[in-house]
Amino acid sequence: MFLINDLITLLAANLILSQALGTSTIFIAAGSKKNLVGTACVITLFTTIGSAAAYFVDKALPSSVSDMRLLFYTIIIGILYILLLTIFYYVGRSYFEDFRKYIHVSAFNCAVMGTLFTINQRAAMDSSLFELGGYVSAGFEAGIGFIIAAIILTAAYRKLNSSKVPAAFRGFPAMLVYLGIISMAVYSLK
Amino acid sequence: MNSRRKNLLGGILHDNIVLSGLMVISPVIICGDTLRNALALIYAFSAITFLSVLISSFVPKKLPYTAKVIIYALISAAVYIPVKLAAKEFYPDSIERIGIYYPLLAVNSLIVFQTEAKFFKMKKLDMMISLIFCIIGFDAVMLITGFLRELFAYGTINSKIVDVNTLINGLSQPFGGFIFLGLMCGVYRFIRSFVSKNDRQIRSEASVSDK
Amino acid sequence: MLKKARKERLIWLDIMITLLTLELMSYFYYGIRSVVLAGVCVCTAAIAEVISLRMMKRRFTADDLTCTSDAMILALMFPSVMDYKVAAIAVIFAVIVAKNIFGGRANMIFSPAAAAYVFVLTSWGHQLLQYTEPHVKTGVFDTPAALVNSASHTFNMTGNVDHTDFELLLGNFSGPSGAVSILLLVVAAAVLIFRRSISTGAFIGTICGVGFFACVTPMINSRAGSLKYSLVMNMVLFSAIYIVSDVRIAPKRNYYAFFYGLFIGVVSYVLVLTAAKENAIVIVSVLFTPIALGFKNLEKRIEKAASEHKESEDNDVTESVMSGKETATE
Repeated sequence: MFLINDLITLLAANLILSQALGTSTIFIAAGSKKNLVGTACVITLFTTIGSAAAYFVDKALPSSVSDMRLLFYTIIIGILYILLLTIFYYVGRSYFEDFRKYIHVSAFNCAVMGTLFTINQRAAMDSSLFELGGYVSAGFEAGIGFIIAAIILTAAYRKLNSSKVPAAFRGFPAMLVYLGIISMAVYSLK
Repeated sequence: MNSRRKNLLGGILHDNIVLSGLMVISPVIICGDTLRNALALIYAFSAITFLSVLISSFVPKKLPYTAKVIIYALISAAVYIPVKLAAKEFYPDSIERIGIYYPLLAVNSLIVFQTEAKFFKMKKLDMMISLIFCIIGFDAVMLITGFLRELFAYGTINSKIVDVNTLINGLSQPFGGFIFLGLMCGVYRFIRSFVSKNDRQIRSEASVSDK
Repeated sequence: MLKKARKERLIWLDIMITLLTLELMSYFYYGIRSVVLAGVCVCTAAIAEVISLRMMKRRFTADDLTCTSDAMILALMFPSVMDYKVAAIAVIFAVIVAKNIFGGRANMIFSPAAAAYVFVLTSWGHQLLQYTEPHVKTGVFDTPAALVNSASHTFNMTGNVDHTDFELLLGNFSGPSGAVSILLLVVAAAVLIFRRSISTGAFIGTICGVGFFACVTPMINSRAGSLKYSLVMNMVLFSAIYIVSDVRIAPKRNYYAFFYGLFIGVVSYVLVLTAAKENAIVIVSVLFTPIALGFKNLEKRIEKAASEHKESEDNDVTESVMSGKETATE
């Protein structure tokens, strides 16, 4: 019972369904299973490690220069971007060519950057969340949320791209409406 | 000539970044529920994107792709600071409502990825014209979305009460944004295919009369 | 193909007959207003279907009449005093946004009625969950007076039900106009299951899911009472028949359909128990659409694998027959 409640909470806090963060990325990810796994894993990595780094930025940055936050977050993601590419290049050279595109797609998008800003916003409202563990777990949760949303979209991917769907709505428009209806159901649970 | 014109002006109808490319859609879905928000977003997007792409065009092309992407993102993050400070003067209410979507505009895919794939392959003047039309395309979508969602969700136009009998509150919510944008994308595609079909028909008729 | 089309029409007819009987009961309790509401819904659905099919360059055939049963389901889930305009908007949403945008009846993703109900819940939730008492008959254009919460709401909040079993069986308690006549719903379920017009697996799964959890973690002191009221309240029975067990949405094989229904039953019960969410089953059925689609994808893969296996076996048999013939001629 608690598991079901946790699942519903996770769904309600989903950044894609409730805040539309990373919607375009998810459309790319849902195209195939390989893309889904690759993009979801890399995004989870970015959100989790990025959140940890964002904690230190938020701790060090005085509120008078809060407009500089984006610049620092961009530097964090930039460093992570280079680090991930380097690690994949040296550790799994055989996978590098396959995996590189997922890192490129995942680095600078709303899903990752939006997660960092959302966590910062929550921590600003509730000081009990302002700790490293809280940041990291929120980042990881956001990644899991991305995976859940991608799975939801993947289940209907074939139907949404079927020739039976009117040409004007086939693909992205149908996906948006589909996500909209699922998001509506999630919203009505709140 | 025709394809060049299409490349330059296509940003409004043929290659609209929101409706065709599905770029920068999260601010449209979440914040495009009132005309005021739409105007604030239009100002921010136009200023950040135009200045960032313009400055980024001076980045040496010989640099590796990853380095260039990071530099583009850093430039737009730097451009964001004065734009946000100015916005605090013009749109103080909307800034709070838009919240995290304001900085997210600075890392939009038009700046980070499309610059490399599209704009920097053009001549400077062509790039600027194309960029301006892309921005106008986004602005038009944002305005239409803000206007219609505000009208049907709140029964107001730019915060002035209008006589709308049945309000659909859900349109102001994120799911309303998803569904509205999906419908708008479909209508846009329908119009685009209709226009291109007509164009083809006119061209084929012209070629017949030429013969 | 012809057989399939005929079957589709028969299913629609079966469902329509049961819905009409529920509408008749609703007329008995709430008067002409509920009939007019159903009429508005059905007419709007037919018009929306014809226009949207025309825009999709398709012809309106008898099979497309399924839109009317979706409209009827929606009308029966509304309070009888629902605003006609809101009902019409909901039906247009059901037909166009939840159905025809995805390709219509040939490519169904959501139950149109369920999606439209959730849509109304998010935009006009207050109006949707306020009902008149049974036998209070409102005129066709009258403004409804003395609105009350549903019996489900009272049960979810307090655990009390102030109605006798007989009243519950006959639907003599406040709630959606057609979704409370329990005896009729039980008969409708039996008829539709025997006629194979609904998914048996999904129906049993939903009932088992709700029933099992109602016994294991009862909402009230008595387990029997918890079981009884959990099945009767919150449109559980109605949704189990017309939404979860919709053959267009539920997985084809009863085995998978059972688990699909079971998940919906369990989750909706937990939502009612922990959050007192009224009519949670309708929301959960929309939310669980990806699971139905996932099961359907799995079914397709199994069918494909089975046909490939059969093909390879057939090829082996032909090859062995051919080689047998060759050795015989030698």
